[in-house]
Amino acid sequence: MGEVTKDVIVRYETLLKEMWSESAKYLGILSTNLLVERVIWELSQEYPAIQLLKYGPEGISCTQILTSVEKGFNDLEEMFMKFITRYVSILAKLLGHERAEEIRKKIITEFGGAF
Amino acid sequence: MVRLVTGIKNLDHILEGGIPAYSINIVSGAPGSGKTIFVQNIIFNCARQGMKTLYLTTISESQFKMVRNLENFRFFQDELLGDKIVYDDLGMILRTQGASQALQYLGDLIKKYLPNIVVIDSIKVIRDLFPDEKNFRMFLFDLAATLSVWEITSFLIGEYEEQELTRLSEFAIADGIFHLYGQEEKRFQKRYMRILKMRGTSYQQGEHLFQINSNGIEVYPRMKPEGEELHYEIKHGRKKFGIPELDEMLGGGLREGTITLVSGATGSGKTLLALKFLIEGAYRGEQGVFVSFEESAGQLQSTASQLGWDISKFLHSGQLDIRFISPVELDVDKHAFEIMEMIKEKNVERFVIDSISSFENSVSDLKKYKDYLWAIGQLLRKQHVTSIFTSLNENPFSSLIVSKSQISLIADNIIFLRYVEDRAGIRKVLGILKARGSNHDKDLREYEITSSGINILGKLEKPDMLR
Repeated sequence: MGEVTKDVIVRYETLLKEMWSESAKYLGILSTNLLVERVIWELSQEYPAIQLLKYGPEGISCTQILTSVEKGFNDLEEMFMKFITRYVSILAKLLGHERAEEIRKKIITEFGGAF
Repeated sequence: MVRLVTGIKNLDHILEGGIPAYSINIVSGAPGSGKTIFVQNIIFNCARQGMKTLYLTTISESQFKMVRNLENFRFFQDELLGDKIVYDDLGMILRTQGASQALQYLGDLIKKYLPNIVVIDSIKVIRDLFPDEKNFRMFLFDLAATLSVWEITSFLIGEYEEQELTRLSEFAIADGIFHLYGQEEKRFQKRYMRILKMRGTSYQQGEHLFQINSNGIEVYPRMKPEGEELHYEIKHGRKKFGIPELDEMLGGGLREGTITLVSGATGSGKTLLALKFLIEGAYRGEQGVFVSFEESAGQLQSTASQLGWDISKFLHSGQLDIRFISPVELDVDKHAFEIMEMIKEKNVERFVIDSISSFENSVSDLKKYKDYLWAIGQLLRKQHVTSIFTSLNENPFSSLIVSKSQISLIADNIIFLRYVEDRAGIRKVLGILKARGSNHDKDLREYEITSSGINILGKLEKPDMLR
């Protein structure tokens, strides 16, 4: 159970890192982190574990989520999915649907068509 | 593109649909230029559409005065305050705790209220709180990023002079810049707005008149002739005056969709000739509009009845519309736009401006006057409206001056009315200088205005009477 969950988190971390760096190309690091902060804030009531997602000038990291996985957070996969969906939907408004779609496609490629 | 519809009269038209959503807009101008009312008008309009605004002042006292002053405007709605429009103060925290705390506070307010619009009034005061340009620039950058990421359309109000607009850092981060200013022009205190920048959309450039009245802000877009060559279908129909001899002189009447300049001295009958043209149209079932800057509808109706023309039925049915604009009130920036709108809205077939001389006299900028007249002319041609512009010739015995400012160039047809001396008397003669596309009569014809109307008489037989 624990190993499976960790694998899932690692996969999502890869995906989030890709999404973060692609966004930063268009938005810049400051705005990208502000966007991450916004989505974390929006989801934090429903999924407290999202507050363990760390971000900064170097990018985004799930290290604290991984180290806390033993606490038995529920719905981690659902949390990541909602985070990404919300993030991309805001991105689409800020950058336009075409660019957001490009970023989404890159994520799909990286993640083997899960989205 | 998602846009924020301002709801301000004609502003969304200038912006081709509204302000791009999530943009940062600076509203600049000297104190009293109307900046705050402009933004307040927008946020109240947006509040009625369900949008929420966070309005951040920088001097706490100003909020009370501001709300009190707004109560006089129709756009103001008490019940929107606190729900859709939330006022707060950013100045105090900036002064006491610094920029980063102020941004943190702004972030907290955004999370609390989730506004669609944020207003900072004034950003210039915030600038003055920073010890140096570098720190202010960093604050601005963070502010801009925060507002964008939260999908907020923002208005930063500031008392900036025009010369500051290009060199200060806040104008670099702005997506849109509205600059408001006023100037004395002839007898009016005029207010103008220029959109200096608007990323992500095209917009009408140049100086737009705006007014502040009980409705709030009303904008009258700058009128200019279209840059591209005007293409329009040439109609072959004729529009008659209903004066058989004159129609004959013109080869059957005025060509449909053309502009005719009727130039003449005072009392020569320009207004009557133009009015007769519309009455003839009304009898034929055509819609006519008479824009008068000299005589009221009542005066025109009375004059017409003295000539045996009953226009009351046409006025009553709306077939004939007389719009009187007092020369004292005439403001070309506003009225030229309204005339254009009227032509577009109504299915006008015959149209008169009496006179373009009054129009000209109210304009301080002759170039603007020509632009307006050309723009109106282009629209009339495009809409195939057959039009008459009357023009006062200040020398009653000269036919050589058709109009000042080379406005005669706009005309397809020119009819002049003048006086000639005959022994101890004065007679009136009419001639056609040009009639585009027509083999017009080149003779000078005497005419008279009697209780039975306008009668064209014989040829002028003594050319030596012309001086």
